[in-house]
Amino acid sequence: MPITYDAVKALSADLYDWSLRAVPADTKDGLRRALETETQDGARKVLRMMLGSAQKAEDEGRFVCSDAGVPVYHVTIGSAARLDGDIKAAISDGFDELVGRISPPLLKHVTNPLTNERGYKGRDMPLVTWDVAGGADWIEILCQPKALGSGRWAALETFSFPTLAEIEAYVMKVVMQAGSQHCPPVIIGVGIGGSFDVAARIASKATMRRVGSTNDEPVLAAMEERLLRAVNATGFGPMGTGGDTTALAVHVDYASGHGYTPVAVCFNCWINRRTRARLHADGSVERFE
Amino acid sequence: MSDIGATTAAEGFRTIRMPMSRDDARSLRAGDMILVDGEIVITAGLPTVQRLVACAEGGRDPSFPLDGGSLLHLGSYSQDTADGGLEILYMNPTTSTRFNRLMPGLIRHFGLTAVGGKGGLDAGCVAAMQEVGCVYLSFLGGGAPLHSAAIQAVREVAYGDLVAHYRLVRLAVSALGPLTVGIDAHGNSLFDTLQDQARDRMPAILEQLAKDRAAAGG
Repeated sequence: MPITYDAVKALSADLYDWSLRAVPADTKDGLRRALETETQDGARKVLRMMLGSAQKAEDEGRFVCSDAGVPVYHVTIGSAARLDGDIKAAISDGFDELVGRISPPLLKHVTNPLTNERGYKGRDMPLVTWDVAGGADWIEILCQPKALGSGRWAALETFSFPTLAEIEAYVMKVVMQAGSQHCPPVIIGVGIGGSFDVAARIASKATMRRVGSTNDEPVLAAMEERLLRAVNATGFGPMGTGGDTTALAVHVDYASGHGYTPVAVCFNCWINRRTRARLHADGSVERFE
Repeated sequence: MSDIGATTAAEGFRTIRMPMSRDDARSLRAGDMILVDGEIVITAGLPTVQRLVACAEGGRDPSFPLDGGSLLHLGSYSQDTADGGLEILYMNPTTSTRFNRLMPGLIRHFGLTAVGGKGGLDAGCVAAMQEVGCVYLSFLGGGAPLHSAAIQAVREVAYGDLVAHYRLVRLAVSALGPLTVGIDAHGNSLFDTLQDQARDRMPAILEQLAKDRAAAGG
């Protein structure tokens, strides 16, 4: 049974809607762990408010944040999946349909970068990346709306044959630039190597990994642990008003490249919006997040 | 979840009436957490703040009086109701540093007693706030369910030609918060202090990273 335009359209709309009204379970667990270790009273109050806001959003179907961001989808198509219809158009049409029906309505955040005019539509919107899963007969869609609060502070610099010390110092430089601005505690994605665009994509993908998970590669797992301790030693704290909890996780990944090595660093704010589901060949929808 | 979101006055937060009196503003210290009742004025729009600056510089009154009041960087979705009124469906803070360049003039011209949003304001704003007697209130980002529940009534909406979150909105709120006093009226900014503190800590942080790398064999 083929995966249809209608199924992709409906799921694209639903994933965006779901992402606005909840904080992922792994992220709430991360906030709860932070609450156990946070030593500053004000920071503990802010962390409790975060959990309270997430709970109220879920209980009452409210948006966690008024800034719904712009629609960002990451699509993985199984090489054995049978498709029926224009899947690319289905994602765009799904978002359009959502804009027309969602309650409460979305604010207009899609921005023309040349004029700063805002609306619901724009060139290359939604922002979609495509990947292929060998042998699979499903399509997986991950929705990760992005807004200014955390998106503004992403940065990339290209080095020549950098040492780990230089890479980690750059991560800390970007953390300092962001300071209190990005609605901490954040999830930090670091992409090393490849090329300019690949490093950025790796960093972005790293933010999607489950908070609390351990990197499969021991070298990266150790780097993530020490960078998390380093970021939290800065003291910016929840909402940047002081505390031990500036990041919930640092996720690092890399690609081989030439000796020029881009290092990309990006952030997701504490609500860490992210929903993911698979459309199977039998028509079923398997929701992961 | 009983301990979660217990953010009422019963928890011991001081409640301050808005518009905030200058005495109240000066009584607060950076790091205090408060609730607010009364009337606030909000917008998340740079074009809106630019219009207010044009009013101030041109000697014109804005759409409704701001003197001695608040101007908070909060975005909201406002819409007309069937009975001819207005309602706010949700509201949440936006990044205040986007307005750094424009805020000192507005704080001085209108004698604002409270500004706010998230992320703080720069040294130029801190100086204007100290001069006038004004505080910066830090809101929880991602706190729309909590902030929106504090809205009692919509008093006025101006600049209806702009997208919803850019409009200037005057609201009545009850027990809005807790809000952290991020910058007080005495020149103290948590944001500046924390940035300085992090910069001072950075040599030790990088040294620790080097030790951890060595221990991990890197």
